[in-house]
Parts: sequence; C-alpha cells; structure tokens
Amino acid sequence: MSDRDPLAGKTPVTLITGFLGAGKTTLISRLLRHPDMDRVAVVINEIGEVGIDNDLVKMSSENVSLLANGCLCCSVRTDLQETLRELFGERRAGAIPDFDRVFIETTGLADPAPVIQTLSSDGMLGAQYRLDGVVTLVDAVNAFTQLEQSPEAERQIAHADRVFITKRDLADEAGLALLHAAVRAINAQADIRVCTMGELAPGELIGIGLSSARVDPGTLRFLGELAAPDSGAVASGAGAYLGQRLPQRHDPAVKTLSLRFTPPFGWAAFSGAMEMLIGLRGKDLLRVKGIINVEGRPVVVQGVGHVFHPPVTLDRWPSGDTDSRIVFIARQIEPAALRTLFEAACALHAQGAAL
Amino acid sequence: MNTGLNTLRPRADQAMALNMTLLSHHELQGFGGMGEGIAMQMAGDGRRILWMAHESAPKDFTGVDVSDPRNPRVIVQTELPHMKMRSNSLDVVGHLMVVARQVKELGAQPAGFDVYDISTPEAPRLVSHFDASGPWSRGVHAVWFVDGKTVHMASGAADFQPIDPKDDQIYRIVDISDPTQPRETGRWWYPGTRVGDSAPPPKRLPGIFDTGFRAHNTNVFPQRPDRAYIGYIDGGAVVLDIADPANIKVASQWNHSPPFNGFTHTVLPLFERGLWIVADECVKDDGADWPKLVWVVDARSDANPVPISTFPAPPYDTFAKRGGRFGAHNLHENLPLPCSFQSETLFVGTFFNAGVRVYDTTNPYQVQEVAYYVPPTPALSPRGAVQLNDVYVDEQRLVYTMDRFSGGLYILEMNV
Repeated sequence: MSDRDPLAGKTPVTLITGFLGAGKTTLISRLLRHPDMDRVAVVINEIGEVGIDNDLVKMSSENVSLLANGCLCCSVRTDLQETLRELFGERRAGAIPDFDRVFIETTGLADPAPVIQTLSSDGMLGAQYRLDGVVTLVDAVNAFTQLEQSPEAERQIAHADRVFITKRDLADEAGLALLHAAVRAINAQADIRVCTMGELAPGELIGIGLSSARVDPGTLRFLGELAAPDSGAVASGAGAYLGQRLPQRHDPAVKTLSLRFTPPFGWAAFSGAMEMLIGLRGKDLLRVKGIINVEGRPVVVQGVGHVFHPPVTLDRWPSGDTDSRIVFIARQIEPAALRTLFEAACALHAQGAAL
Repeated sequence: MNTGLNTLRPRADQAMALNMTLLSHHELQGFGGMGEGIAMQMAGDGRRILWMAHESAPKDFTGVDVSDPRNPRVIVQTELPHMKMRSNSLDVVGHLMVVARQVKELGAQPAGFDVYDISTPEAPRLVSHFDASGPWSRGVHAVWFVDGKTVHMASGAADFQPIDPKDDQIYRIVDISDPTQPRETGRWWYPGTRVGDSAPPPKRLPGIFDTGFRAHNTNVFPQRPDRAYIGYIDGGAVVLDIADPANIKVASQWNHSPPFNGFTHTVLPLFERGLWIVADECVKDDGADWPKLVWVVDARSDANPVPISTFPAPPYDTFAKRGGRFGAHNLHENLPLPCSFQSETLFVGTFFNAGVRVYDTTNPYQVQEVAYYVPPTPALSPRGAVQLNDVYVDEQRLVYTMDRFSGGLYILEMNV
C-alpha cells in the first residue's frame, strides 16, 4: 500500500536524437542560453562541442557547470548511466543546485533504445527518473538521402514522440510537405513540428510523456489518438492515409498499426502475447503505445524498439471507452497477424477464467 | 571560476525544491513568526480556514482563508493579553478551537488553554478558559484535540512541583464535552520527577542536552482510544494505557537517548503496520545537537519496541551551518479529521533550515525522501535561513508550512 504516484515524483528525461548534421549542436547551444532553462540539467557528450562562453558560466565543478540562466550543463564523463547517477546523488547531497528535468543529447547515430533500457533496467535510475519522450531532429535538406542510406535514420523517426524538422529556411514548401508526409508515413503517432536555426523553446521539449498515474487532462493529451473515440476501430494497414499515397522514398514496410480489443485481458495473457511478439519479431518492433484493459483496470504500456517502460496502472479510465487500444510501429508485420495473436491470448484467458 | 565542488552548493537565499511547487507565500501581515499549531476548519459557508498559533507575542493566532490556495487571505489576527506569554499550539474540531496559553514566568497568568467558538471565523468567541497556572507552572505548551470532547496536553499544574524545574510539563487529560466547563480527568508524569515521588529521579542527559523529562506531543487516536502516544522529550517515546484516566499506566516505552541527544517530540503510531514514527526536535543552532532525526520503530511488541531505520537526513554539509536550527521537528500527524491528509506510508515533516520534506516509508527498512521544499531566507529572518517549524497537510494533499521567525505561511503542492 502506498500513497505515492509511481510516476509523479520521478525526474523527467527528454532524449534528443537526430541525424548527423540535423542541428542538434545548434539546438543545444541555443538552449543553454535560453532564459527558460532554469532548473534543467542538460547532459551532453562534449562541452567543447557546444562552445559555452566563459561569461555564461556562473560556477562550475569538475563536470557540472551552472550557467547564468540556472541551467546545469553536464558532460558525460564515463558513461551516461554513471552521469545520471552522479547527478541524482549530488543533488541529494546538496552538492549541486536542484533541477526539475534532464535533457540528454544522444550522439549522432545513437539508437535511443539503449538509453531507455538503461532507465528501465538500472534500479536506482528507474526509481528516480522517467522517460518523458524522445525528440528527433530531422534535417529538411538531407533527410531523404539519409533515409535511403541509413536504416538508423528511419529508426530514429520511428522511435520519436516528437519530430522537429530543422533547417526549414533551406527547404522549399513542397519539399517540406513531402518530408512531413514521409515522416508521417513512418510514424503516424509522432507530433511533427518545424523549427529554424535551432530556435526552439524548452517548453516544446517537455510534457510529452505520461507524468502521473492519476488521470487528468494531461493523460488525454498523452494518449492522443488512443483516446479518440473511433481510433483504430478497424485494424488498418497503415495509420495515416498519406503514407499510402505519397511516393515511397523509404522502406515501405514500416507501418503504423492500430488495434482495438473489447474483452479485457489478463495481465499474464497480454504480457505473454507481447513477449512472444518481442521474441519472434523484436527487431522489427519500433514503437508500441497502448492503453490496455487488464481485468477492468487501465494499464498504459509503452515500448521503444523492443524495450518496454514499466507498465503504469492509471487510477481510473480517462474516458468512458474501456477498450484496449494499441498502436504499433513495426516493420513488415501484418495487422491481421497481430490481431490474431492478441485475440488468441484473450481467448485463452477467457477460457481459463471460465473454468 | 572553477573553484571546486562547493561553489555549486545551494545557498540559503535560494529556494530548493524537489517534487514540490510553491503555490503561495503569505507573511501574515508582518507577524510571520509561527509556533507549532496549525489546524483547518471547514467553515459553515464552505470556506477553508487555516488556523495558526504564533510562536511568540504580541500575536496570538491568525486565521487565513485558504479556499484558493494560490490566494490566501488573512481574515483574523488576534493579540495576546501581554508580552510574557505565547499561544504556540492549537487544534480545531468542527467549529471549536482550543488554544494553548504558555507563560514565560512561573506563576504568571493566563496559563492553560482557551476554548473558542469559531462558527464565525472572523470573530472567534471565547467560550471558556482552563487554568493550569501555579507556582511551578508555565501553563500549556502543546494541545491535542481531535475528538471534539477531550484535550490531551503537555501542561503544568498548580499542584505539580517538579524536582527539576525543566520537568514542569506533564501529560494531562481535560474533558471539554461541555466546552463551558473543562475539567481534568487524568494525568501522568515521569516517575521520579515530582517532589515526593518514591521512584528515584531519572538520570539526566549531560550538559546542553538536558532539556527535561516532560511531555511534548500527546496524541490519542480513535483507532486506540485507550492509548496515548507521547513524546516525553528526554524521557523518549512513552505509550500510556489511558483506558482508566484515573489510573494511567505505562504500556510501552522506547528511548534512544543516551547515546543520542534527547528531545523526543512526536510519537505517531501506524495502526495498520505496527510501526511508530518518532520525531526528535532540534533545539540548538548550527548543528550543535545534530543529529536530530525521525525514527521508524517496529512496535509490534509493547515490551520491546525496536528501531529499524531513520528517515534519510538532509545533508549536513549543506545545512548545519547555514543559520539557525537544522534537524527534525514537527510531522503532519494523520489527524483523524475530514480536512486532514492521512497516510500510513507518506510522511511530511519540517526540519527548520532544511525546509519541509516528504518521505515514503513503503519499505520501512529503507525510507526514501521523495520531495522537499526549502524556502529562501525570509525577509528580516534573524537566523539567516528559513526555520520551518510546523506543517499541516490537507486531504487534497496541499501542504501548509510556516516559519518560526518571520516567513509566515507557505502553501505547497506535493507532486508525489
């Protein structure tokens, strides 16, 4: 028995990923000067890269600098896991100023999944931090080439909760529309925004994920399409129509699949089906987000790649809709196969319960 | 510029926060030195009124309309009859408020408690006064009033002559089921502290740590109406069997001092879990009586209460020398009242210059600090750092905490 919300007290972490040259360094160096960055800890690989002027630094220790705007800038000394542990420990010890959230810049080609794995598998970090969301920068000029040449680029889009198309000033409207559609075709769930020259308010990088197990207006925002009354009523082949109509300039096998189930799941049945799916096709799962009816209770599940966040049981259903709703972004998986898998799990559960 | 780790340490003039958001701050009209009495009234017209006792004269108590926690408004602030006394403690049930009267000099008056009718919060009406004055009495330091008819308190008495003057406040029970006619029904004191006791006097703590064998918080809960949970200062945690108030007996006892530095302040029982949360009070500035802690005691056996952990203390290096007191003091005490937060796992306490802190005891062997708020040094603070003295949490999980000297009231949201 606990009166504590399993999510609310954890420090939110935003992962910033992006293609090489997509403008991450520009974005970070602007953020470090932004007045709204008070009480944000930014973890970057190399302070030298972003070039902090000495007059910007109020105080500093070995690997943490307090900037004039109240932002804590930390370089990764050994590894990210260690850095996040140290940040927490030093705050607990009152050795560094408080911070309310963490932004992590991942290196150019990095897959965010291992970072998410770190947050969920390291007990200490998992108890103190939660993933707020993955933000992916996509370069308006070079994206198409990168999507063709690098499967990583596609994964980064698929993993994203929010995509920022950068360098809009260097692209024409038609190109932007095409890119927008291409991103949408890979990831029908992501919130797609546009920015110029790294001019992005810190507010656009936060409040992405589920921040509380207590249902409030933020829960509906987080659930997005899942909360819409008619979402995925039919297991569709692709989420957004543009994905089917536009010239396919990337691997067309990556699709957004929405499923809906009315009978409740037992947790063992649902997680068993999910584990089977991960076991057989883990590398083709890019993203999973769902609200599952587990014996009447609403449970939010999320996965990036085949790494799952800890499931969160909400204190109540956010609306009258108590169907299970799941969205998959997956490569070469047919919706019918997914539907059959989960329906079978559901049926097995129902038969077991009837005995 | 790069002058080492310590340069990054937060300073007393900066707020520190983890999982708590300040909704509002009210200096209480320039009289923001508050004691250790906070209670909430749901007024007849639906307003939430927060009642607070002042730490010292000239003000007695203040009522604040906190219906909108972002915009608290003082509705009444009262004066004490003279400067050599204070209220310090109060409690509210329904529209009845009990306010302590403690004097600075033995024998002075008024010493005891007052009962007020606060049906009209703007105009508290005195119903009765219970007199506890006497040649060896400083009156009442702390009251506990949660059932609408009984006041449990730490009080002197006209006929109680302590051997050591520090042991002047004993546990007394006063029936106010007729609020106009308070009458004492029971009392208990630490054996060996009264002139004429047959028991030998207790062994005192050394030097500056000798703060007295006397009662502080005297809590009785509806789950166990036959038990009083008492922080008996240097006498430790004392649980009394009060089934027969005329014949009170010790049911259980636990004391960490010596070797610790005394001043057991609160004993908060968790009935579902067989635990006590026991809080010390820090009473010396600059860490002189460090560590003052909050303890988790396994109390399944009356005969053998066993401490199993302490709440992780705020960091010594950051707070001990930042000004004033640093260490445990009041906890929100699960008052069995409709406007009070009640929890067997989450505890909120004040730690003077280390602010207000929230702990999760779900695992009682490994308590976690889950939130805190340390206000910046209040204006005109004589100690150079905030000194949060008492805290109250309402059933909406809003946290009301107050400064001992000048800061007044802080209203916070707890994000855990």
